[in-house]
Amino acid sequence: MANSDLITVEHLMKRYGPHMAVRDVSFSVGEGEVIGLLGPNGSGKSTIMRILTGFLPPSAGKARIAGLDVIHNSLAVRRRVGYVPEDAPLYNGMRVREFLRFMAEIKGLSGTAARKAVAAVCDRLDLDAVATKPIGALSRGYRQRVAIAQALVNDPPVLILDEPTNALDAYHVIGVRDLIRSLAGRRTVLVASHVLSEIERVASRIMILVEGKLLTADALQEGARARRLRLRIAGPPPAILAVLGQVSGVVGIEVESASPERNSSPNSLPQGERAGAATYLVTAASGAEIAPDIARAVIGQGFGLSELVEPPPNLEQVFLDLTRRVRESEDKAA
Amino acid sequence: MKTFFALLLKEEKALFTSPIAYVVVSVFLVIMGYTFTLTLFVSRVPTLVHLFFQIYVLFLLIVPVITMRLVAEERRSRTLEVLLTAPITEAAVVLAKYLASLSLIALMLLLSGAYAITLAIFGAPDWGPIYSGYIGLLLLGAALVGIGLLTSSLVGNQIIAALLSLSLFLLLWIIDRFGWMLPDPFNALFVNLSLLVHFTPFATGSVFLSDAGYFVSMALLGLFFSVRALAQR
Repeated sequence: MANSDLITVEHLMKRYGPHMAVRDVSFSVGEGEVIGLLGPNGSGKSTIMRILTGFLPPSAGKARIAGLDVIHNSLAVRRRVGYVPEDAPLYNGMRVREFLRFMAEIKGLSGTAARKAVAAVCDRLDLDAVATKPIGALSRGYRQRVAIAQALVNDPPVLILDEPTNALDAYHVIGVRDLIRSLAGRRTVLVASHVLSEIERVASRIMILVEGKLLTADALQEGARARRLRLRIAGPPPAILAVLGQVSGVVGIEVESASPERNSSPNSLPQGERAGAATYLVTAASGAEIAPDIARAVIGQGFGLSELVEPPPNLEQVFLDLTRRVRESEDKAA
Repeated sequence: MKTFFALLLKEEKALFTSPIAYVVVSVFLVIMGYTFTLTLFVSRVPTLVHLFFQIYVLFLLIVPVITMRLVAEERRSRTLEVLLTAPITEAAVVLAKYLASLSLIALMLLLSGAYAITLAIFGAPDWGPIYSGYIGLLLLGAALVGIGLLTSSLVGNQIIAALLSLSLFLLLWIIDRFGWMLPDPFNALFVNLSLLVHFTPFATGSVFLSDAGYFVSMALLGLFFSVRALAQR
């Protein structure tokens, strides 16, 4: 464990009867990082979060927060963690300020300190207007904000958020997203979501979890490693595919789209574009620099190359590639 | 300690802001008032023995209604996740819920004290059985709340929790009726599990440590297993 790691998880397993919810998951999160845990519903995200917050014991493995074991030092860990469970379960009969005061008190604050902490989170999360309302009468957006406020009320160094933007409208999603971004650097934040675009916007590092397995602890780096080039080439696709396939370092080629050859007039195509041009996605072997060789090969064979770009890492593609690889390896093992 | 008082205050508020508490207290007072008036005018004896046995039966029926929501409701609404990820122990959560429920029992007994005062004003009651009767009822309430809390900790449905408690209470009420037919030493064991066997001496003016120990043991067992059930999630 590096000294600056605030969350460390080693070979974590969780079994519910015959079902293995978390399988040998290991990762660490540094101080001040905002980490995204991405995975489809039922992939084990909530289970990992419940283990980290001391709500559930692991079946095997270790989890530590600030160097403290989540089982053996559970109370000390819980003092350092603010947790927002999925769907914001709250006491509907309590009023917002009353609830936040209660949460502040059971988290160890009392008297003036508790009053100030409640006032500060109400101010920060814009809850003053609803502070005296019963929680049961609040909209979903406000409920989510109250749930985040209770997690922040004792100013914990670690914040764990389970699907914080689930079922919120666009306005509230932006608010929660901005709040998470504003915490970067000051708090260590672990955010779980099944929505790729949400995680992508708030997290500096993204972990992907599928069927209880951690596929990558850094999906963005994984995406950068698997380099892809997008080329727009005019000419017969079979011949072009053959040329591209012969370039050293190319491990995959896909035809993304093709311009119609006969049914469109040349005037309808973009300037410089020839009829019969198609877009090809070329995947390079890890670390290989293939762009100059590809350009030479395509132009050398007399095909028209109108575009050659290296798009930024596509998280969606990384997610699909990784899940496909897992399924393939499982099929082979079976 | 401040944390525990915050938990206790939350439980007291939850109990006394729900209509259940007021319905339970009202039903209790109406039935007790009827019993007290009738027995007093018919027997013209300044005693509360009949009333104590009536309260005994009412507690068996009322306590499941008081305790059914304690943990089951938190489990169903998932607020248990918010509560138990805060830096508090399961024992503190259980004890706060237990004491809050017991306070409602104590309030009902306090209100029924009006009947004892009435007897004192218009007659000369024997205070020994009245004191022992109230001690017995408080101990009975403590045991029943402990068991009710346990059933609520075991299930996620309030109705099932109430039915489980009620079934257990009724079983412990009648267990001695058939227990004596069992061979030795099981007959003594089953008879001694009876709530009524241990409550009757209190209601009639006799205080035995063994009877008090029975109710305290029931309450402690209920609390212990409630904490274990909560720790198991």
